[in-house]
Amino acid sequence: MAQRSRKGRSGSKTDQEFVSEAEEILDRMRQDLADLNEERVAGEDVDPDVVNRLFRSAHSLKGLAGLFGFDPIQDLAHRVEDILDGLRLGRVRLALPVVALIDESVHLFASLLEQIGNEDALAAAAEPIGRLAQRIQAAREAPAAKSEFGDLALEPSLLRALTEYEEHRLRENIRRGRHICLIDSTFEIISFEEGLSQLTAAIREVGEVLSTLPAPGEAPEAQIRFSLLVASDTPASEVASRLGLAAGAVRLVQAGAPSSAAAPASPVAARPSGVAEADEEPTGAHHDSGETGGPESLKSISDTVRVDIHKLDELMNLVGELVIQRGAIGELVTRLSADAATARIGSDFAKVHKALDRKLRELQSAVIDVRMVPLSQVFEKVSRVVRRLRVDLGKDVRLELRGADTELDKLIVEELVDPLMHVVRNALDHAIEPREERIAGGKDPEGRIRIEAFQRGNHVVIAVSDDGRGIDTAALRALAEAKGIVQPGDVLSEREALDLAFEPGISTRSEVTETSGRGVGMDVVHTNLTALGGVVEVESTPGRGTTISMTLPITLAIIQSLIVVVAGQRFAIPLNAVHETLLIDGSEIQRSEGRELLNLRGEALPLRRLAAEFDLPAAPPDAKPFVVVIGLGEARMGLLVDRLEGQQDTVIKPIQGPIPTVRGIAGATELGDQEPVLVLDVSALLADLGRRREVL
Amino acid sequence: MSASLAETGAAAPRWQDLARRAAERRSAEVESVVVRQLLTFVLDASPYAVPVERVREIVRVRPITPVPRVPNDVCGVISLRGEILEVIDLRLRLRLRAAQSGRASRIIVAHSADGGVAGLLVDGVSEVLAVPENALRPAAATEAGNIETLCVRGDRFISLIDLDRVLGFDAQR
Repeated sequence: MAQRSRKGRSGSKTDQEFVSEAEEILDRMRQDLADLNEERVAGEDVDPDVVNRLFRSAHSLKGLAGLFGFDPIQDLAHRVEDILDGLRLGRVRLALPVVALIDESVHLFASLLEQIGNEDALAAAAEPIGRLAQRIQAAREAPAAKSEFGDLALEPSLLRALTEYEEHRLRENIRRGRHICLIDSTFEIISFEEGLSQLTAAIREVGEVLSTLPAPGEAPEAQIRFSLLVASDTPASEVASRLGLAAGAVRLVQAGAPSSAAAPASPVAARPSGVAEADEEPTGAHHDSGETGGPESLKSISDTVRVDIHKLDELMNLVGELVIQRGAIGELVTRLSADAATARIGSDFAKVHKALDRKLRELQSAVIDVRMVPLSQVFEKVSRVVRRLRVDLGKDVRLELRGADTELDKLIVEELVDPLMHVVRNALDHAIEPREERIAGGKDPEGRIRIEAFQRGNHVVIAVSDDGRGIDTAALRALAEAKGIVQPGDVLSEREALDLAFEPGISTRSEVTETSGRGVGMDVVHTNLTALGGVVEVESTPGRGTTISMTLPITLAIIQSLIVVVAGQRFAIPLNAVHETLLIDGSEIQRSEGRELLNLRGEALPLRRLAAEFDLPAAPPDAKPFVVVIGLGEARMGLLVDRLEGQQDTVIKPIQGPIPTVRGIAGATELGDQEPVLVLDVSALLADLGRRREVL
Repeated sequence: MSASLAETGAAAPRWQDLARRAAERRSAEVESVVVRQLLTFVLDASPYAVPVERVREIVRVRPITPVPRVPNDVCGVISLRGEILEVIDLRLRLRLRAAQSGRASRIIVAHSADGGVAGLLVDGVSEVLAVPENALRPAAATEAGNIETLCVRGDRFISLIDLDRVLGFDAQR
């Protein structure tokens, strides 16, 4: 293990962050490299996606290393990026040596990571890096068509058709100095299998059939031609006579060496012959990490465990099931206590149940806690992008980050990166004015973008604010009218007008820029956040700036739900979206434009009848309805239901079947008994509130 | 031959085609004795069937929670060992008379070729039949296209459900 001496770097936290992030990138690269190698073994075309991913990984690693000042890693990453670029553009052929080189680099990266903090060891790594870099350079410059078999008198197309194993056998036979020849033969289609097996058996007498390939070109009617690649100790002319074939049917591809121990033809051939077995790990080959501190240690460097998020999901589901079972036990306790005959045992049982309940809650929060990661990783990514864009766009912008230690479910953080990045880019590209314009407007010449994260109840709010030009609602409206989203006569509140920014195809800048502004974007932000059960809201003052707030649930796992009953059917409403419940009299419901409203402490609360939304029978008109006030972020609405049934722990499960997604339904849950209960999708209900204008 | 070798890319599939045809010829000879296993069941007093290998399990009818905003032949969702599965009322799906489920009614949990799972509500499950492949006849194409094949059994026909169609999300519905 590397010694942890620090020279000129303060604290180990930064290093640890680097190592952790770099390890993640390397993990991804290993995975992609394995995919790439599989494709190569299967003889498939290079999947551009995999190569592009690898390329991006190398690029990220380079950027990351540069950011943290690890020059050796940056250098090597640069080389790897080069060769991947070649691969991407088809300048470099996907072959074993190339895969092996990238693999060696990944190994070297891994061993370099172990040396982080040990400057001497890092400096000493310059030499193996240099050597590897040279080999990468050489591989890059090799002309694409010229493979390791380039010297053979074989057409490249035929070489390409060889399988991995056949290639290996060819290589092996060349190494052993045997004669390689190509035998052409034509068979009747109806009996070719028989003829081919006879010929193959005959060839086996004199040598080895390396590959049987269909010969191209038109064969005579009802006939098929094959080319057999054969290795033999017997010279080609003799092979023909031994097989009773015309001399012209056997073509010499490469004459064998007179002595059997021929010199290796290429560096690849010099590898131990076991390297290229059919489905090999090319990584089995040696790598040059010896000089950088022994073979790659199996010990992980940082004291964190990386766990597949799906395993955590499983754990979470199990805890969820336990929580539901606990509910069933609770019911038994109540029944036992209610009966005088069993009241004593009932009260003992109740104590045990309570203890179980407490431990279960601890387990639940511990499992949830495992999934939580601070936002700092995302913030780090964002600030890197801002630093780069600032230069590209030539804008003076100061980025302020607050609340980087706010924690969110890992899965949500992953999904958050793209929308957040988009909002920040938008701010940088569109909102912040050019320097001259800012000076003319009497503003600080340097623009400011602030990202602030904080927890609010069961939600985390991430607000991106800028002090730019603000959103021009008039322009927004004109665009929306042009697209037919609103009609010229429609009266929109200020909020509704701003919300137009989230409609598909709306962008406030007419010209398209590289960074953003293709008219896609804010609607994608809206869609992504809604999918996570969150909301996005915008506030803007012309000339002063814009704030975009994203509100997200802390976790998607176990949630408390309010169980409501409509037309005899139970529904679950996530409690984090429930603000209050009211019992009202039917006469309190008011109407405006055909929409139902409730005066809630002076505010107009839009109402929706759940029965009507879901085509269920309506309650009798004299029944007093319950109003469940639901809301996310700033938006509020009241749902009219027949009855409330209390709170329950619920695990939202996806619905499987031909119609897995139903608007307004987030999934289903079980409540101890067998009957599933549908969980309402509060963000969808809120979104529909603004969109659907028909009278219910 | 060398001049045209550059076109091997085009010739390669040809070889595969030939090999496939040869393989098909061979298997066609064997297949006359191949039997298919069918799970037969009853809908409105007529026999129907699905391939056994597509059936995950058969369960008794349990509480079904109706789902709003779906076509009426989706009768709702059930919970099966922690999974939430949609149940399709096959009677309604095949446009037969609607009926209450009775004592013999069962839910057949089946999967489509792409792995989608759902429950099929049927009047009752009969038996598993082994039928020779040559007892299968293509069904007359109907607008709904839910019946893929008819299986001759004595002088009776058993209708084979096209599971991929029934279990697939079908936008035209």
